[in-house]
Order: sequence, then C-alpha cells, then structure tokens
Amino acid sequence: MAERARRAHRVAVTGVAARTAFGRDGAALLADGFAGTPAFAPVTRFDTAGRRTTTAATLPGDPVLADELVGAIEDAVVGTGVTTRAGVPLLLAAHADAGNAALAAEVAARTGFAGPARTYTGACVAATSALADAATLIATGRAERVVVAAGYLVEPSTFALFDAGRALSRDGRVRPFSAGRQGMLLGDGVAAVVLESASPLGIGAGGIGTVLASVAVDPGVPVDVAVRESPRAARPLAWLAGWARSGDAYHVCKPKPDGTGLARAITGALDRADVAPPEVGYVNANGTGTAFNDAAEVAALRLAGLGAVPTSSTKSVHGHALEASGLVEFVVTVLALGGGTLPVNSGYLGADPDCAIDVITGPRRAEPAYALTVNAAFGGANTALLLGAA
Amino acid sequence: MSATLSPGQVTSPVLDRVVLAEAHWPASPADTPGSLPAIAGFVLSAFNPLVVEVAERCLRAHFGPPPAGRDGDRTAIVLASVRGDVTTADAVAAAVAAGTRVPPLLFFQSNPNAVLGHVAARWGLAGPVVCASPATEPGTDALACADLLFAAGEADRALVIVADLATGRGDNDQAVARLVTARGRA
Repeated sequence: MAERARRAHRVAVTGVAARTAFGRDGAALLADGFAGTPAFAPVTRFDTAGRRTTTAATLPGDPVLADELVGAIEDAVVGTGVTTRAGVPLLLAAHADAGNAALAAEVAARTGFAGPARTYTGACVAATSALADAATLIATGRAERVVVAAGYLVEPSTFALFDAGRALSRDGRVRPFSAGRQGMLLGDGVAAVVLESASPLGIGAGGIGTVLASVAVDPGVPVDVAVRESPRAARPLAWLAGWARSGDAYHVCKPKPDGTGLARAITGALDRADVAPPEVGYVNANGTGTAFNDAAEVAALRLAGLGAVPTSSTKSVHGHALEASGLVEFVVTVLALGGGTLPVNSGYLGADPDCAIDVITGPRRAEPAYALTVNAAFGGANTALLLGAA
Repeated sequence: MSATLSPGQVTSPVLDRVVLAEAHWPASPADTPGSLPAIAGFVLSAFNPLVVEVAERCLRAHFGPPPAGRDGDRTAIVLASVRGDVTTADAVAAAVAAGTRVPPLLFFQSNPNAVLGHVAARWGLAGPVVCASPATEPGTDALACADLLFAAGEADRALVIVADLATGRGDNDQAVARLVTARGRA
C-alpha cells in the first residue's frame, strides 16, 4: 500500500479526557480500570423495577450531558496547541435526538469552538466516525486542529430498550470473549480528544520539514501540503496513524459472522499507516460481551492477522457508552500506549473456542509501538483506528 | 498565526462531485403519508420506511433492481436527519413514563444505523455507514460527509440520504437521496 501513499499532514493526538463511572479525571480509570476492577453497580439514577437487569456503570448523581461535554473538552484542551478557539472545528457524537442541534450549539457557545456542523449519531461507531473525519480534515490540510467530543449518560429510555432487546447481562458483569458471557452493560462515557496537524505543532527531531509522514490519503485526491512555521509546540500523546471504516452489507443489527466487513476496516487502517500486523502490540476490542458480536470480532481480528495480539475490551470495566464508547476507548488506547501497562479484559471465566485470540486476563506490562481500537455497530458499520506511540 | 483555517491552508481542492441519481419523497401526489411500503421488522414509525423508499428509488434509477453488483463494494451510505426518528423516541419515552413494556422491535430501530443495515444488505453496499444530525443545511452537510469519505479513499460512491418526519405543523415527511461520486471514480 506504500505506493498509494501521498505525503500528508501527520495527525497528532495532543489532548485526551474521559469521564466514566471511575470518575471525571481519568486517574481511577487508569489505575483500577486498567487492573480489571469493574465499575458496575445497581442503578440509582432512575427506577429499574421490572427490568431484567438493574446494573450499569454510572457517575454519582444525575449529571447533565452538556455540562459533562464542556468539562471534558476543557480538560482535553489543557496543554495542547489550541489557542484561538473560534476557528477550530468541534465534532460531536451523541444519541440521535431531536435536541442535538441545540446541544451542539450550547456546547460550542460555552467552549468557544466553531459550532459543530453535525452531531454523529451512528450508534457504537458514532464517535469513531467523527474521529475518522477529523483525521481526514487534518491529513488533507482542511483543518489544522479538530476537537472531537462524545457523550452518553445512562438514562431510562435506552436502558429500557436494551433491556427489552435482551442485550444486557444479567449477572452484573460484562465478560468479553469469555465462556459464559451474557451480554453488555451500559456505562456513562463522556470524552474529548484534540487532534492537531504535525506542521503547526512544529515537532519532529529534524525540524519542521521532517514532521510530514507518509500518511496515505486517497490517490485520487492531490494533496499539496503546505509547511509553515509553528506558533507553538505541543507534545503529542500519540499519533493517529491510520483509520478506516467499512460496512458489512449483511443485517440491520447483527455483525457478519465471518468478520470480513470488520477485517476490511482493520486492514484499511493498517494500510493507511503502512504498518504490518506484527507491529501492532495491543488491540482495544469492541468486545460487547454478547455471544455473536465477540465471535464475529475474533473472526475479523484473525482474518486481519491480529489473532496473536494482546487484546482486551475495556467495556468489561467501564460499560458500553454507546455513541460515545469509541471515544472513551480511544482515550483508553492512548493511555495504554503511554502507560506501560495493558488494560485487563475483566470478567473472564474461561476460554471460548469461538474466541481464540490472546485475551489479556491479568496484569501485563508492555510498551507497544502501535495499538488498534476497533468498534462495530448496528447496520454493520465498522471502524478501526490505529494509534502510534509518541 | 491564527488557529483558524485560512484559504492558504486549504491544501486539498474541493472535490468535483458528480450526482449519478437522485430521488425524492414525496415526488408526486400519490406519495401520501400512508402509502410508504412497510419494511419487515420495522414498526410504528414512518421514518424507516421513508428512508428505505427514497433509497430504493435512487438506487433503482442508477443500478436497476438490487443488488448493486461490484459497484456496491465501495459505496458508502450517509444519512442526515435533523430530528431523527422522533416517533420511535417518543413511543419509548411514553412507555417508560407509563411503566409499560417497551416493544423489543423498537430496540434496534431506535438507532438510525439499523435501517441503513437493511438498505446495505439488500443492495450489497459495503462501504462506510455514517449517520448524523446536521446543525446546518442537511443536504449540504450530508454531501460534505461524503466528500470526506472520498478524500480519505474510504469510498468511491455514496448514497446520501436526508430524511425528516413531519413536525405536525403543516409540513410533510420529506426525504431526498442522491447517489454521488467524485469525478474519475465512477
């Protein structure tokens, strides 16, 4: 795929923040969550009488989505190269709702970023689709910086829907890739990520001219990269080296069992970065803990040559944040690249022959050069994002 | 230097987009609210039948009967809806408020991806699936999403759908679908 590559702006991840049931600053997520301690507890935010499941991973009290989004954005921006906010695009992801335009306007007004053109609503790949578009905006020179934020807070309607759909685990745990897994549990998740072009960052050992990397953009679209001096330098936390999306063309809500659709997204992300499967040291899986999802995902990982790569689904500790899940897991993957410890796949009871991959069931130290985060959604929508260590 | 995107910083040209086919709902007086064909597995709301019908009209105009064939392999689907499926959302909220059972079929149709999965499977469209609530003019924003997919090399064509249910203030359910490509891709 290297011959397809066009020299383009390299995409740096310079700011991340995630608010989950572990708290608002990410410290407990990194400590307890990475160790495999789950944050699930009985729901107190609303009445769960009559539901098959009464458990989720929630922040205390009844937080307000706009407040949490604003807070996460402000947390993520600290230390980045973002100075003047008015021209920096903000992309949001949230549940499809008639109030999304008002939510987007409020978050933009309170943070000062350019009003979101849209809120991504595509279920469990909403946030990662926003990240993919943000990366394209930067790689093709359409924007120097983009802020992506996403939020889901556990509320009664979605809880009732997933309960009615028998998608929720009844034993209080999410057990991705494990024998005996029963399904998913919902979790609060609000996250924000700042992506910046390498050229305004002004980073790179050899000076400004060396920060251009062979990030492959489309061969049919000429990219004439402008290299200019930087106003300031921000230290990247990681590189967003590759990204790709695909569709299963299979079913309204089930993933294609042979994994071929998701495998195309994974291979596309690796190809864009010109990275071979053995170079990937960690996979943050979609891993919902449902029988058919996990088996299809394993088939995809194996097809893409990643069957031996250490893999975990951190939904096993922070729950499924639906439209925001991909952004929470992107933040987790950035932290895994820089922390020296891979997150544990919690709740594992034993091997399932349909999930023959290297599941991280206990503490494991590693410093991967590349880590992949994978998401899949209703409608057969798949995303894969490849992060490189800074 | 400003952090804003100035003209000098736009380093990729605006794509030369080609519309291969276009379809609307309503397109004639026969397109009345009750005349949308039902879609198996989808209940209660007109939103999903509306999306499917306008997609069918557009895709048939270009491909003939389904499936789309090899062209479908790199065809994306983009759905923009300002308000989304408010009928389904309201029904779920009402059931929760009343303490009554939520119909299981509403589980998957509560998200716009599901109906796109129906369209993708029927027509063999295996490109990316993107759903959004646009904050600006929906048709323009949906095409901007398609342009980003083309610019990233993630698709060669996109079925771009804009659909919104009537608000109850004298308007109609409305949808438009366009099959677009970047010049040189078709």
